[in-house]
Amino acid sequence: MDGLLSEAFIASLFFGAVTAGVPLLLAGLGEQVSEKAGVLNIGLEGMMLAGAFAGFATAYATESFLAGFCAGILAGMAVSLIMAVLCVVLGMNQIVVGIAITLGAEGITALLHHVLYSRSYPRLSRVETWTIPGLADIPYVGQAFFDRNVLIYLAFALTFFMIWVFRRTQAGLNLQAAGDAPAALDAAGVSVTVTRFASVLVTGCLGGLGGAYMATVGGGLFLPFMTGGAGFIAIVLAMLARGNPLWILFGAFLFGASLALTTALQVVGVNIPTDVIQMLPFAMVIVVLLLFARHSYLPPALGLPYQRGAR
Amino acid sequence: MKQSGRKFIAGLAAGAVMAFGVVQAGLADDVTSIAVLVPEQGTDFGWNQQGVDAARAVAEMHDLEFMPAEGLGYGDVRPTLRELAEEGASLMIAHASGYNTAAPEIAAETGVPVAIVDSPDAIQEGLVADYTLHGHEGAWLAGAMAAMMSRSGTVGIVVSGEPPSWNSQSAGFAMGARATNPDINIIYAVIGPAAYGDVAGGRRVTETVIAAGADIIFGQGNGSSFGMIQAVETTAAADGDKVWFIDVIGDKTSQAASHLLSSVLWNMVPVYSAMVEDLKAGTFGTVGYKIQLADDSVQLLKTDNIPDDVWTSIMAKRDEILSGMMIDLITDAQEVRALMTSIDIGEG
Repeated sequence: MDGLLSEAFIASLFFGAVTAGVPLLLAGLGEQVSEKAGVLNIGLEGMMLAGAFAGFATAYATESFLAGFCAGILAGMAVSLIMAVLCVVLGMNQIVVGIAITLGAEGITALLHHVLYSRSYPRLSRVETWTIPGLADIPYVGQAFFDRNVLIYLAFALTFFMIWVFRRTQAGLNLQAAGDAPAALDAAGVSVTVTRFASVLVTGCLGGLGGAYMATVGGGLFLPFMTGGAGFIAIVLAMLARGNPLWILFGAFLFGASLALTTALQVVGVNIPTDVIQMLPFAMVIVVLLLFARHSYLPPALGLPYQRGAR
Repeated sequence: MKQSGRKFIAGLAAGAVMAFGVVQAGLADDVTSIAVLVPEQGTDFGWNQQGVDAARAVAEMHDLEFMPAEGLGYGDVRPTLRELAEEGASLMIAHASGYNTAAPEIAAETGVPVAIVDSPDAIQEGLVADYTLHGHEGAWLAGAMAAMMSRSGTVGIVVSGEPPSWNSQSAGFAMGARATNPDINIIYAVIGPAAYGDVAGGRRVTETVIAAGADIIFGQGNGSSFGMIQAVETTAAADGDKVWFIDVIGDKTSQAASHLLSSVLWNMVPVYSAMVEDLKAGTFGTVGYKIQLADDSVQLLKTDNIPDDVWTSIMAKRDEILSGMMIDLITDAQEVRALMTSIDIGEG
């Protein structure tokens, strides 16, 4: 067993942690945008699934991961459009619509998979990477962080971009107001409906991208239900992070690292029941975020449809 | 009043006896259709496809109506079971361990017999049968083959859950490898508690196991097997050469010919056929069902990637098993883990 804890093994754990964390990061950031604006987007899982299918199908057909990512974004946005119309424009119950969207996306993508791929199970080739000279050679972590697909770098950068948007831009203020005091935003002459509508589309965009990443970079193929609840985990991360993108980043990679740790503990043969080991990611994320993110808050108007003049 | 009461009781008893007789006669004779419920599409070259294909074959053999219900997921299948019962299913095969609670409930509710997996203690005469299948003999041969062909002396087992059927094969694989090469390292990793369709997880965990030195992966997963295959196809072993994959249940040669070393093939036709015959004979739910090397319901897939001398040696070992060499049946997850190369830091 001496060779087991080799550099290659430990590097693969970091690699796996980043791979598992990125879809949660993207989807969690997207969810955070709509939650800030007062829309609880329970349909995120469906948006990820739609993005996963479209991303894979396009990447497979065009042999371009970039095209797959773009298709994932569009598919996620298309699904989120339903959420935006039904919940933001028509004021329907966000939870009911979100569940319906997820179930619908599961059914449609499973059907499409059955028609198109269930006899052949096509797979993508190895993903293209951008190697950052010098940094990629750092022992243990170089390959995990600095020899990756461009989307991973963008996901990291997006976190800080979101911080800037939330804190420094008019759009960020509008989002905050749409969730905190929509009537005040309305009185200031900014449309609450447009603000929330746009926020839901951003959620679809990032959720779809997260799904596309999962199917192309993460798995290299599409299977029905393959997101496996990642959308719901991202919703939990967004709610626990309560408005701070850095907590999403931390939570997503803590979850990814915990998943990698569960594999590591098994591979080295630690004599603990697997069920206990498999609880680690969920337990760690909840404990850490509850301990350290509890001083944040949720928007008072979260989940409530806005009607001008309504009390 | 007293006499009319006696007549009433006698009539009731006679009616009950007649009703019982009708039900028994129905159970014994009226097998007209067979339904199978699977969580994923029956096109996965594995658990789901083997189940659906076997049920279809048995329906043709016994001239029954075939009623497949595919892609049901791992949630609540009670509505589907009720629907199939209402449509006249004579036997419902609930082909996923996740259906073990719902299926007996619906059987009791509708009176339609069900077959479930991984629950030998749940059988009820005439109503619930169990077919917990163990391909451990085939897995033992696969382990022996892996030990012969591993360049690094390290092989990996990746599973997407720990149901008894897979535990017995994990144990069989480990025992076969160890019997062939006592010094071999065996790495064991579970993707998740029920990660049967977790493609990304299958790929991630398999890549980690390869990074730990394994150059042959014995993979047990439904859809997640494709993630494992993706990993062996895109990740080189420590020596820079190819990583081989040994599959279970189905034949994925058409999907992964370049990296597929073998597969522990299952044939469920004899099992489902026996269920139908037991149903007709009125003995359904009184016995368990098994697959084995002896009747070829368990086989090792021969691919072009297996050298002739290795295959010859494996066939010789198969003959030893058929001649009476016992392969222990281990289904407990803790006992399975004890067979792997491990760093023991205390009791689990």
